[in-house]
Amino acid sequence: MGLIVQLSYVIILSYFQKNYTVLKEGDIRQRQEESISHVSAVLSISRVAASTLLCHYKWNVSQLHDEWFADEERVRRTVGLLSRPVFFSSAKELTCGICFDSYPRHQIHSAVCGHPYCTTCWKGYITTSINDGPGCLSLRCPDPACCAVVDQDMILRLASDEDKEKYSRYLVRSYIEDKKKTKWCPAPDCSNAVEFEVGSNVYDVTCLCSHAFCWNCTEEAHRPVDCSTVNMWIMKNSAESENMNWILANSKPCPKCKRPIEKNQGCMHMICTPPCKFEFCWLCLGAWSDHGERTGGFYACNRYEAAKQEGLYDEAERRREMAKNSLERYTHYYERWASNQTSRQKAIADLHQMQTVHLEKLSDKLKEPESQLKFIIEAWQQIIECRRVLKWTYAYGYYLPDHESAKRQLFEYLQGDAEANLERLHQCAEKELLVFLGNDDGDTDFISDFKIFRPKLAGLTRVTRSYFENLVRALENGLSDVDSQAASSVSVSSKNAGAKGKGGKAKSSTSRSARSGARNIDDLTHWNCDRCTYANPDSLTSCQMCHNRR
Amino acid sequence: MTTSSTQTRKALSKIAQLRLQKELEEWHDPPVGFKHKVSDNLQRWTIEVSGAPGTLYANETYQLQVDFPEHYPMEAPQVIFVPPAPAHPHIYSNGHICLDILYDSWSPAMTVSSICISILSMLSSSTSKQRPPDNDLYVNKCRNGRSPKETRWWFHDDKV
Ligand SMILES: [Zn+2]
Ligand SMILES: [Zn+2]
Ligand SMILES: [Zn+2]
Ligand SMILES: [Zn+2]
Ligand SMILES: [Zn+2]
Ligand SMILES: [Zn+2]
Ligand SMILES: [Zn+2]
Repeated sequence: MGLIVQLSYVIILSYFQKNYTVLKEGDIRQRQEESISHVSAVLSISRVAASTLLCHYKWNVSQLHDEWFADEERVRRTVGLLSRPVFFSSAKELTCGICFDSYPRHQIHSAVCGHPYCTTCWKGYITTSINDGPGCLSLRCPDPACCAVVDQDMILRLASDEDKEKYSRYLVRSYIEDKKKTKWCPAPDCSNAVEFEVGSNVYDVTCLCSHAFCWNCTEEAHRPVDCSTVNMWIMKNSAESENMNWILANSKPCPKCKRPIEKNQGCMHMICTPPCKFEFCWLCLGAWSDHGERTGGFYACNRYEAAKQEGLYDEAERRREMAKNSLERYTHYYERWASNQTSRQKAIADLHQMQTVHLEKLSDKLKEPESQLKFIIEAWQQIIECRRVLKWTYAYGYYLPDHESAKRQLFEYLQGDAEANLERLHQCAEKELLVFLGNDDGDTDFISDFKIFRPKLAGLTRVTRSYFENLVRALENGLSDVDSQAASSVSVSSKNAGAKGKGGKAKSSTSRSARSGARNIDDLTHWNCDRCTYANPDSLTSCQMCHNRR
Repeated sequence: MTTSSTQTRKALSKIAQLRLQKELEEWHDPPVGFKHKVSDNLQRWTIEVSGAPGTLYANETYQLQVDFPEHYPMEAPQVIFVPPAPAHPHIYSNGHICLDILYDSWSPAMTVSSICISILSMLSSSTSKQRPPDNDLYVNKCRNGRSPKETRWWFHDDKV
């Protein structure tokens, strides 16, 4: 699964040149070795000394060279690389400077400075320092007046295996953490790092472990929404988490028969169990028939409208109402954000199931190679990516100022269209595909039904992709071309004719007509695609969106 | 053991005991200005400090309480003044001392007497008998018996 999810990402990113490199632990060690060899050759010093210097200079080779050749003595002094001992004794027995016991010479060790300590005390000193943290990479002689460095060789000679392991991990970490253009992949079990090309402003990166994240803020990838919006949203969520726990619950009462219905699928189209069989929207609990193109209604489930305020309020009541509304408004966005997240997780699991179990069986049944069924995998990849984008657009929507009404209308319109298409795609991949995964072999209709299913799913995938590309582009432009975009690109006249549709909730008619105003097109010179409902210019014989023939 | 600190302390390791016995022997001839109050508790020492003549603290005496951790000297001892603590810009009224060698800059090659000498020189170089500016805030935060070793110290300039 990992690989495939990542591939879908590559498809999205292929618009841009890849602006980052994933480094595995082996790559990091190799780069460190190369830097050490280089420095040791150029400065003619030992590899151990080179490693000490590089740790101090945060693996910045050119800065190290510059400073070394400008003033070698000063560099040696700051780093603690003394050129000759400061303590020397020819006595046969020496007193350890920590335990104050006397030892024969051979049981005493020293850093380059010569200060004498016994084996036991060195071991204690080194293990304490390693367990204190990365400071052990610049360990100095225990003598308070001495700055001589305790080099890697000495540490590795005296440390326990467990401590050596920790020490070498700190060494690898220093390469990543001390640099501005490298960061660790934030996935919990991943030890890869990502090196980013500074100057690029597309921050989404995908690690080899398949985790996609924002290099700038290390949250999960959130294109097209910017980092500050994402961080505000995450703060808001943690502040409200107690209020919002109920949203994460997996069951809701059916709006018709009131029995609890569990959500066990990714798409938002719910069907109550028989005999009720009421079809409703998980998000707004409105009838599903009010959603999308079937009734000519708008897909308006994404839009938040405060409850109408009627009559006169006294001040206190008004304030209470405002507080309730602000939580209600947040709830609206949070629920959609969280539901898309859950749907995405479900889709990832479904894709995995498809790749590991179903695809092979299906290919047997159809007597077609799996490569011919790639369109199913592509559909799931598209769903996963779209759920991610859609999720973040709800954080965007929450912070989009109310007074920017033209932008808000365009945004909700684009988001609504994208979402409606995604729901159709997800439903098709989830529910309609199910029919072909059963065990009814030898059914003569099977193959001919699949012939109809194939272009439908592939078409929905294509259409959904273009709607989302549109949405992403518009948000990345800051919805700047409010007018031109609304008038030209994605108008669908069958949906706005007469502006009579109903969303799941009662929506005020004023904002609905404002919406239709923003997407006005002349209704004479186009035809509606009967697969995706896109309004195409009369001059075309196949649909601009899904290439379906007229 | 007289416990004014609420923490339970682990007993001294063998190495710590041997080292402290050695240090104690040295204290038969203590550094100038200090006196070790004899007790049979090796893990907590009480030391009397006399302000050096000619300084702001001349003719004053204070008590230092030194508690040793299990892995002394690899880990620093906890050193505080028993209140009333001397008024000094780096000494809080609860006796906590802002001195780097007691925390981040501790080295196992240091000893109780090297700590004492540093503390006395810190007192001697003071030019005003003042509490640190954040005294009340800090002392308040420590009311639950927090050890100064749990504080993240931001060391003041070391000229005073
Ligand atoms: Zn020793
Ligand atoms: Zn030394
Ligand atoms: Zn990773
Ligand atoms: Zn970000
Ligand atoms: Zn029902
Ligand atoms: Zn809805
Ligand atoms: Zn179409």
